[in-house]
Formats: sequence, structure tokens, C-alpha cells
Amino acid sequence: MAEQTVEEQDFGTEAIGNLDALYRGALRLTRDPDKAQDLVQDTYARALRYQHSYQAGTNMKAWLFAIMRNLYWDRFQKANREAVSIDDIGEFALYDQMRDDLGEGPETEVLDRIARGEVVDAIEKLSPLHREVVLLVDVEGFSYKDAATVLGVPIGTVMSRLHRARQQLQKDLFEYAVESGIVPGGLNKRS
Amino acid sequence: MYDCEDCIRRLDQLVDKELSPPEVEEIHVHLDECGDCTKRYRFQEGLKRLVKVSYQEQKAPDALRERLRQQLGA
Repeated sequence: MAEQTVEEQDFGTEAIGNLDALYRGALRLTRDPDKAQDLVQDTYARALRYQHSYQAGTNMKAWLFAIMRNLYWDRFQKANREAVSIDDIGEFALYDQMRDDLGEGPETEVLDRIARGEVVDAIEKLSPLHREVVLLVDVEGFSYKDAATVLGVPIGTVMSRLHRARQQLQKDLFEYAVESGIVPGGLNKRS
Repeated sequence: MYDCEDCIRRLDQLVDKELSPPEVEEIHVHLDECGDCTKRYRFQEGLKRLVKVSYQEQKAPDALRERLRQQLGA
């Protein structure tokens, strides 16, 4: 291999700094640790090949995610890319449901009693398009603008997907909270 | 002046820090005097934090990290 320039070294160091985030993203796309590793490796290989197109000082994490997502869709999902639908789940919020059931809104402490594994399970149950926006914005801290760039959609779409995803998430967590006795359920008859 | 509906409509953007400074100021004027919206806001914020910590425990395998380090010369 030829001698590396300082820029290439910096590029490599910054790219590796995003590895955990990329791996998490790959895991939720592929849902398989081996496939996730392959996807991450291919993402870095492509990033290395196109590193001249990366502008230093811009958001490298967003750039790497965009590469990874394109690779994934090209490779694994070409056939059903269009088939992914977003269900209209209607307006439902954990907060409102609990307020109706309890007579007042839940205290934030309720959240402390929800196991992290439950949260991950609830996110895994979201549709792929909802799941990825929650993970980009909530877990990886992307701005709406960067998330929109990665996903190739307008900012308004990021916002509406995020809103619906959070509603679905709250619905699932509410059911869990009732089942596990964290909050009393069934005070109001829901038919 | 924002009412509860204005506030609720902007809660996602507030917890995601996507509002402009004047909007943040305006929404806090409402939050200061509305206990229900304040609770709702805290809850949304808490949920976002919970999602974040729930996932951040997932780390890439060391072997993968080492392989990529060599590949990238980092």
C-alpha cells in the first residue's frame, strides 16, 4: 500500500470513530450480526474508495449512513423497496392513554421502570421506515435535515414518520406497562 | 401566544432541538404556565432519552474494529 497522506489518516480515524453507530444501523437494517458486519465492512470499503467526494468538516456520520443505506437497499431490498408501506396508526399517545386511565398524566419516573430491552423490542417492531428515523434522530442524534439527506426524503417526511413512530412506540410501551403492572390498566373500558 | 394545541404540535421539534430560538422562547412562556404541557414535554423528553440509552449499549465487535482499522490505516 502507498504511503498515507495526513488527510487519509485523519479520514480513517474519523471514519472509525463512527463505527459503533454504523454497526447499530447495520444491525437494525439486516437484523443479523454477520450480515451487519459484512454491510459495515462494505460501507467502509466504499467510503474509502470515494473519500475524495467527502468534504472535510461536513457530517461524516451522515455521509457514511447514506452510503450504507444505499448499499443495503441496492443489495438486499431491491425487489421490495417499493413494497414497504407505512400504516396509518392513528392518533394514540401513551401519555394521553395513561392520563385517561389514571386521571392524570404519568410522571416521568414511569419511564425509569421500563426495561431497556423492552424499548429495543418495541423499536424492532416498528415498520422499517419508522424504525430507521427513530434511530437516526433519537439514538444517533441526527438533525432533521441530516436525516432527510440520509433517507433521501423531504424534512416534512422525516417529521411525520418520526411522529408516527413515536406514537406507535408509546402504544407498545403502554401495553407493556399495563401488562407488567407498572401502571394500572383497564380503568376505562376500551372497546 | 401559544395555546396547548400549538405547544403539542411543536413538542417533537422541541425535544429534538429543531425550533428556532424565538419559537423556543414562546413555547417556554406557555410551558411556564401550563402544568399539563410541561408534564407532557418532560415525558416526551424522557422517552427520547430512554430510546437513546437503550440502544447505545450496542457496540461493534472488536474483531470488526481491528479489521477496519487495518483497512483504513487508522
